[in-house]
Amino acid sequence: MSMMSNTLIEGLKDRIADAVSVNQSVGIILPGSNYNNLAQAIAEYIQSRPRDAWVYLTITKPYDVLTKQFGQLLSAGNIRFIDCVSRAAGISTRDPRCIFIDSPAQLEKTILEIVNLIKSWGNAIQKYVIIDSLSSLLIYNDSTLVSEFFAYLDSQMKLYDTHIISLCIEEEMDDMLNKILYLKANKIIKVRESFI
Amino acid sequence: MKEGIVKNSAEASSLDHQNSVGAAQTGHNSMCKTGITELDQKLGGGIPGGNTVLLVGSSGSGKTTLSMQFLMNGAKEGDRGVFFTITEPLFKLTKNMENFRFYERKLIETGMVNIIDLRIISDRLGLDAEKYSVEDANALLDVLKDIADELNVKRLVIDSITALCYRLQSKELIRDFIFKLGASLAAMSCTTILTSEVPPNEIKYSQYGIEEFIADGIIYLGDIDRRGDLIRTLQIIKMRGTEHSRTKVSMNLSAEHGIEITPLLKSGG
Repeated sequence: MSMMSNTLIEGLKDRIADAVSVNQSVGIILPGSNYNNLAQAIAEYIQSRPRDAWVYLTITKPYDVLTKQFGQLLSAGNIRFIDCVSRAAGISTRDPRCIFIDSPAQLEKTILEIVNLIKSWGNAIQKYVIIDSLSSLLIYNDSTLVSEFFAYLDSQMKLYDTHIISLCIEEEMDDMLNKILYLKANKIIKVRESFI
Repeated sequence: MKEGIVKNSAEASSLDHQNSVGAAQTGHNSMCKTGITELDQKLGGGIPGGNTVLLVGSSGSGKTTLSMQFLMNGAKEGDRGVFFTITEPLFKLTKNMENFRFYERKLIETGMVNIIDLRIISDRLGLDAEKYSVEDANALLDVLKDIADELNVKRLVIDSITALCYRLQSKELIRDFIFKLGASLAAMSCTTILTSEVPPNEIKYSQYGIEEFIADGIIYLGDIDRRGDLIRTLQIIKMRGTEHSRTKVSMNLSAEHGIEITPLLKSGG
């Protein structure tokens, strides 16, 4: 990994940590070219918080790929994955750490599974949901539906005192999702080319 | 009761009947909770005790699962129940149900939930398996009532009313049977679910257009097609005696949780 990448990842980790420490819902918007750096920063951030509980919702990469790329995630304490893309891509992997959803269009089922996991951890532990990525849902669903999904999930997570970190790839975003993200998230981290 | 008709319910009658008046339903007008938290909330607390509910849906919509979950959850709260099946053989039904966490074999063994194959009863009564006459239908009604009385059940399921009526030879006979069934169920004061099979994607509550008139409530299980994915839905069409929601919700069916419901995203339905 290049020194520039390391600097970016460290910078992102700090910004995520600062934002999450005071905000329940954090949106991170960045250019697609730097998505991998952000994903790495998130993985390292999760690993640095082994006492917390995590739901990692993946819409960008199948669970198999994600765990190969960020194997250290699996050694983090309470982490469960929800994979919305493997089944739709014909991948039939099974793993007790991951819930496989048939398709990224099954948004209600996705919400149910997230809520069930959050409920199972109770109130004594700090809980987080990572959406990787919110904008990728637009590939499979209408913008209004994704916005509604996010608005509902965000409200539910507030109810369960759970932090939500929503990754968004700038090139995939549209106006409606952008608006709802700004409306619902308590803090937006916008990573600009100049920062990189 | 003849051996083989009732699944493991031999000890049922020996149980203290006092115990069968459970916490979930203590009187005719109290709410009979389905035990599915979100559904009970949508129902305004549960199904009013003594109501007859038509549970409508096409094949694979979750009617049998919801009905069995209703009985199992009731039994866990002390309400004894009976499930009359006419669509599936006992072994097949129980094998499917064993996949669900809510299903407890112990409740069958202790007679808190009784599963009865109506086809075996018909056979033992000497009824024609394919067609029922007026006398056959009346005999069957009497047997249903006797079993429910004998077991002192508070919850009853017939799966399905459509398959039962299919054996009746004319519309008049079906109408007569349905109204007599309605009268019998009302007299029994137990909370009843009658499952009703309808073709997919048709706004229709029953096959014969009569079943809904004896029902105090109608719950409709449907699907919406979202880009090729079928999303299960549930909607309470009517429920006498309670202020209930009429909003269509998304329904999920899983081995771990059985039936669960969650709001349906409006822009996707």
